[in-house]
Amino acid sequence: MTWLTWRQFRAQTIVAAAALAILAIALAATGPHLASLYASSGIPDCHAHGNCGTAADNFVSQLKNGTFYEVLFYLGLGIMFLAPAVMGVFWGAPLITREIEGGTLRLAWSQSVTRTRWLAVKLGLIGLAAMATAGLLSLMITWWASPLDRTLAMGGGHATAFDRLDPLMFGARGIVPIGYAAFAFVLGVTAGVLIRRTLPAMAVTLAIFALVQLAMPLWVRPHLITPVQTTVAVSPQHINGLMITNNNTMTVIGGATEPGAWVLSNQTITPAGQVFTGPPTAACLSQTNSFTACQNSLGALHLRQVLTYQPASRYWAFQWYEIAIFAVLTLALAGFCFWRIRQRRLS
Amino acid sequence: MLWLTWRQFRAQTIVAAGGLTVLAVLLAVTGPHLASLYASSGVPDCQAHGDCARATASFASGLHGSISEVLAFVGIAVVYGAPAGIGLFWGAPLITRELEAGTLRLAWSQSVTRTRWLAVKLGLIGLAAMATAGLLTLMVTWWAAPIYRAGQQAAPDTSLSLNWLDPNLFGAHGLAPVGYAAFAFALGVTAGVLIRRTLPAMAVTLAVFALVQLVMPLWVRPHLITPMRADAALNVNGNLTTEMTGAGGQMILVGAVDRPGAWVLSNQTVTPAGRPFTGPPPQACASQTAPPQACTASLARLHLRQVVTYQPASRYWAFQWYETAIFVILALALAGFCFWRLRRRRLG
Repeated sequence: MTWLTWRQFRAQTIVAAAALAILAIALAATGPHLASLYASSGIPDCHAHGNCGTAADNFVSQLKNGTFYEVLFYLGLGIMFLAPAVMGVFWGAPLITREIEGGTLRLAWSQSVTRTRWLAVKLGLIGLAAMATAGLLSLMITWWASPLDRTLAMGGGHATAFDRLDPLMFGARGIVPIGYAAFAFVLGVTAGVLIRRTLPAMAVTLAIFALVQLAMPLWVRPHLITPVQTTVAVSPQHINGLMITNNNTMTVIGGATEPGAWVLSNQTITPAGQVFTGPPTAACLSQTNSFTACQNSLGALHLRQVLTYQPASRYWAFQWYEIAIFAVLTLALAGFCFWRIRQRRLS
Repeated sequence: MLWLTWRQFRAQTIVAAGGLTVLAVLLAVTGPHLASLYASSGVPDCQAHGDCARATASFASGLHGSISEVLAFVGIAVVYGAPAGIGLFWGAPLITRELEAGTLRLAWSQSVTRTRWLAVKLGLIGLAAMATAGLLTLMVTWWAAPIYRAGQQAAPDTSLSLNWLDPNLFGAHGLAPVGYAAFAFALGVTAGVLIRRTLPAMAVTLAVFALVQLVMPLWVRPHLITPMRADAALNVNGNLTTEMTGAGGQMILVGAVDRPGAWVLSNQTVTPAGRPFTGPPPQACASQTAPPQACTASLARLHLRQVVTYQPASRYWAFQWYETAIFVILALALAGFCFWRLRRRRLG
């Protein structure tokens, strides 16, 4: 059964190995130079000199404007997000549906190997291959991008979406891609078992996986650990945003922030504790006053800023929670597949 | 033949229409909120008041963490992914499914010739692909218009600053996705004709399409129109990026580029002789104790020049038309190849 799985999976293994090799060569060719640029940029000991902001900005500006590093960085992000989906669509969905459509399932299931053992070996071996591929990818790309990740986390280049915990980066680094790959693969197999035709199963796998990847950081991950909530007085000189609408409402966005934290909500409240919605002060409404006058007028309102966030120190806790959740989902779907193939005639 | 194409393509049409509708509903629901955020942050008339930096920062803060920010990224991902999905799911299986199921022999032994069969299929589904991509781009571009307008006014190097020519964003709006969809579809059909098995054809389509999308902004698009070159004295008092490796070692200076919306291809600091400036850093700059004004003054005495090669923002639509034209021509070439190939060979 092991040999059969290998023989039927041979082509996909070769393609995956070749892709990994090409990426490894590209990363190995540029990684050491990137690391040396980082070391000579003054960022590693910037805390002692107190110039972290400028050093980080300088380093990022050097690499922007179409250098190969910028391309590889975004390519790495794209690959990390797409690889689990591609594995689910090309390895998971066709696993059973190809045999159904080719008519070979009857042959495979009328051998001395039971259906359960057949599926167990297939799921196990190919699932492990998917996890190993995702793990290797994540290892290579996380290693290559670590200078950039550290710089961006310091606010280099004024990028706000690239903290480690931020949804855009979280799923592309660390160990969670392994969980995504296992889940996508088993999701594909389940879709194949239920739909029994290759192309619809592939499309459904892609759609559901994309949906899960969207729902997770939006609605599930923020609540895995109770967020931290702090309330500080709004300093009128340090507000990030001021919006005045036509219906006489004003929104103020305070400027206090936590470095590296994943900010979930940032609300400005009145002394009474309600969300501040205006009305705008006379100094802010007037077209002739300077913005400083508007800022000063806010001081009399005694506004406070409520920041709900997940601190940066919780990064690995989130990684382990997320991979555990996807592992449980994977096992549940796999169990469903086992139950389903025993009960039914599939072909 | 028309009815047959429709009947065989029915499921894909319904899925595409469903997907477009869901996205349209999402965008319609959040569009007014985004527009009101844009208006209330003061960006529309910030030029008149002269506070564009503050207004755009306000807009960016209001956007951060909201559902609109998520939708902006989702929109970009969908517009990039749709042509690839069309190539994979509409193009590659067109012929290979019939091959693998054995129905190709039935289809080709009717009174309709192979050429007409392929012509109607390619034509109808190709047009459907272009229409889908066009509708998608239209919706997403209309929805994200406030973000792009604010991005034009934003100070460079802030989180909101973006320009339409940026390689990351260029293929996500305008006309180019229509060309991409046509090309991806034709590429899928060609891969199916050559490889004759569904899954490998899909994988090859994905790989080749991704490669083309990578190669285009890197090596082809910058040269479609001869870039403009600006050669001016380096403004040492402006925003300078400096990188020094020890006194007497190397120094790299990169000046800021003040051309809003331009696609900067290269930005070099050169000596008066015309060679790239690599150091050594002046004594006033390398020393830890000298004040920054001394460093700026000694840099000014070097009479460095800044050479910027760029594509101005005004060429945006020219680039979009060129890119669409290139991809449509590629699609037609691939389609022609398919016609030639189908007539000569036994495929079933």
